[in-house]
Amino acid sequence: MAFNGHQCDDESIDEDETPTKQPRSNKEMPGCFINEPNNEAAASAGRATSDRRTSNSTARQRSDSVKKTRPPFPWFGMDIGGTLVKLVYFEPKDITAEEEQEEVENLKSIRRYLTSNTAYGKTGIRDVHLELQDLTLCGRTGNLHFIRFPTHDLPAFLQMGRNKHFSSLHTTLCATGGGAYKFEADFRTMADLQLHKLDELDCLIRGVLYIDSVVSSGPSECYYFENPTDPDRCIQRPYTLENPYPLLLVNIGSGVSILAVYSESNYKRVTGTSLGGGTFLGLCCLLTGCSTFEEALEMASQGESTRVDKLVRDIYGGDYESFGNMMSKDKRESVSKEDLARATLVTITNNIGSITRMCALNENIERVVFVGNFLRVNTLSMKLLAYAMDYWSKGQLKALFLQHEGYFGAVGALLELLHPS
Amino acid sequence: MDKAKSMIDKKGASGPFHVNNCQSQRGFHANGSCCSSNTFGSSTGGPNSSTFENMHHLHRGDDAECNGSPAKRCRLRRRTESLRRSRPPFPWFGMDIGGTLVKLVYFEPVDITAEEEQEEVENLKSIRRYLTSNVAYGKTGVRDVHLELRNLTMCGRTGNLHFIRFPTQAMHHFIQMGRDKNFSSLHTTLCATGGGAYKFENDFRTMADLELLKLDELDCLIRGLLFVDRVSFNGHPEGYYFQNPSDTESCVKKTCTLDNPFPMLLVNIGSGVSILAVYSENNYKRVTGTSLGGGTFLGLCCLLTGCETFEEALEMASKGDSTNVDKLVKDIYGGDYERFGLQGSAVASSFGHMMSKEKRDSISKEDLARATLVTITNNIGSIARMCAVNEKIERVVFVGNFLRINTVSTKLLAYAMDFWSKGQLRALFLEHEGYFGAVGALMELLKTTEDP
Repeated sequence: MAFNGHQCDDESIDEDETPTKQPRSNKEMPGCFINEPNNEAAASAGRATSDRRTSNSTARQRSDSVKKTRPPFPWFGMDIGGTLVKLVYFEPKDITAEEEQEEVENLKSIRRYLTSNTAYGKTGIRDVHLELQDLTLCGRTGNLHFIRFPTHDLPAFLQMGRNKHFSSLHTTLCATGGGAYKFEADFRTMADLQLHKLDELDCLIRGVLYIDSVVSSGPSECYYFENPTDPDRCIQRPYTLENPYPLLLVNIGSGVSILAVYSESNYKRVTGTSLGGGTFLGLCCLLTGCSTFEEALEMASQGESTRVDKLVRDIYGGDYESFGNMMSKDKRESVSKEDLARATLVTITNNIGSITRMCALNENIERVVFVGNFLRVNTLSMKLLAYAMDYWSKGQLKALFLQHEGYFGAVGALLELLHPS
Repeated sequence: MDKAKSMIDKKGASGPFHVNNCQSQRGFHANGSCCSSNTFGSSTGGPNSSTFENMHHLHRGDDAECNGSPAKRCRLRRRTESLRRSRPPFPWFGMDIGGTLVKLVYFEPVDITAEEEQEEVENLKSIRRYLTSNVAYGKTGVRDVHLELRNLTMCGRTGNLHFIRFPTQAMHHFIQMGRDKNFSSLHTTLCATGGGAYKFENDFRTMADLELLKLDELDCLIRGLLFVDRVSFNGHPEGYYFQNPSDTESCVKKTCTLDNPFPMLLVNIGSGVSILAVYSENNYKRVTGTSLGGGTFLGLCCLLTGCETFEEALEMASKGDSTNVDKLVKDIYGGDYERFGLQGSAVASSFGHMMSKEKRDSISKEDLARATLVTITNNIGSIARMCAVNEKIERVVFVGNFLRINTVSTKLLAYAMDFWSKGQLRALFLEHEGYFGAVGALMELLKTTEDP
């Protein structure tokens, strides 16, 4: 059962006669298993466009060599976090009639289920707006889908995997995040699946660099905010992450990890903080009675944190202190749930900003990239971070953001499947 | 009168007098020309110009003249000599008006001669008696008797230094009391630091006719800290640390002094937090701060548990279990996150379990209080550690009233510094925790170094 997909011979998904639309040179096939180690995700080289066509014979030669090392479908990358499971799924669009005929039923059913729905069960969601179309990965062309569901519902997911006989597909399931370790046994016992466990930070970095390199149309993957504190003039502007190093990468999930990245394979975890997205949501649920991240953000957008926090005005000119006004009973009674939600958001965000700034200073890095699902649909925090970086560093530090926020770990896991390091 | 005049000419008296002008001058002018509006070397420059006015206790308000019996002139001469040492009139206070608490230090002279006592004005005596014969004032004022420094010599006088605190919310009562006791007639300088020195400046003036000499809180903090450490705590060291902080069995409190204190990282945890890198008494910089301080702890606790005071919050926290509330590394990884040396027991996401309704329904207020305490404390510890590493300083001194009666946080900080730095950093604590700003303010009033 512990199958490494790369050595799979009982090809039910035999693809070698498929003339694929392949880019001509190896350097333009990011993520594919080729001998050169540095074609992977090189920022400028990795444009995976689909308009190159090769002759059949060359295609077949290439597909032969690639076939030896191309894992069988389905291709997934999974990141099992403390709060959310992030799943990326590659849907091949270049399936020939033959291939389709030979395709096993459950593989087809998986593909159909995933691509014809945008919601799964009660809590699973496919972020359609993040879909990357016409991507070439490992010699195949297709769409990359981004799916998430609460880690809490992982048992239901496993059940589904079991029902669809996922294990009979003998594919490797590359998974990262703490849950890859925590739930390893459950995957095995409940769905007969072996996980190939990967380090979350390795995957994160790999995923970030890859996605930035392949997004060629639509909004730029990387962006920043101009005039973050001026609601009338604040706008998103694209940013190219060419020559990205050194980079400070701040991953805000349930908790926070801060990495200093010097090259793709040379990075260190500088520090972290336990006051992250999980804290925001947990505190909000307690203080306001809300139950989801979206609700919490909604409330926060309507609140006013200054009634909750002791401001500079209140004391005089030192730090303003979060929740400081809440020591007073009458103040407590005059504050709304929305104010509390806002104060919680502001507190957590500013704390992260403050710690980040110290790290950037210490590591001598000027460029800070914020990722992680705390920032999903959370423009308020992004702007706060943008402002904080800019203001406290007097313009030295720049806060950058990425469209695919929390999915990079999963992408990195997928890349490991296709291009084992 | 002559003597008075001659004193005025002696500009060489050491030390400046930072004296608020207006009111006191008015009081003087009522008596005639004696020692009015002379400026004696104002040094570090409070915003007010200095006026030589320690003739006060020779004049006693309405008493016009210094003329009188030879005995009186003799007393005068003695006082004059002591005045050359630039000693301000009693009472001697230092005040630190923070976001949550007002800290007051009061020097009670115990070497008062019969003469001096006789001459002492009534309200001064009454203030002294009120402060020293009570340990509680009104509903919320407290004198920390266990912190009293006995038989201290300051500025040539011997006495006890008292440590008093009350909530900043009760400030108006305090000012009212000052008015009722006619404090302003004593014409003393009220040296005050902390943000409230600015916030309440007007109230002091309008309600009690008192002028504050506003001082920088960080200057005062450092000065006060070094002073108390120098004079020691009634013969015992002021400082302490924990040996084996990571081991609940063998963790033990040990005393220490701040020998060769520099450089040190000073973490002041009050309502908010300030972190200073101190290289010498006069050379320091504020490295950073965080808004998640004692005020956050108390505010959040009040919201989450319905408690009302710091003591209640701590009481609850001492009984709670934060691991029911926080998501630990092992909750996410199933064990340790070995790659980066994160133990399973480390907190990955504070309050991370609280997004689940079942978990919310299963925890207690005590658990919430504990989680709040642990979260705030660990965040401070983490930031302090980063600063220590940045600034390359190994000694981290924690002060501020967040740590008052708060052994949970003290030990957590000791543990955090030790553990995360693999023994490189050491956390130190001081018994007089939150009072150093007030002590520093008092010292500014006296502008003297410790007398032998």
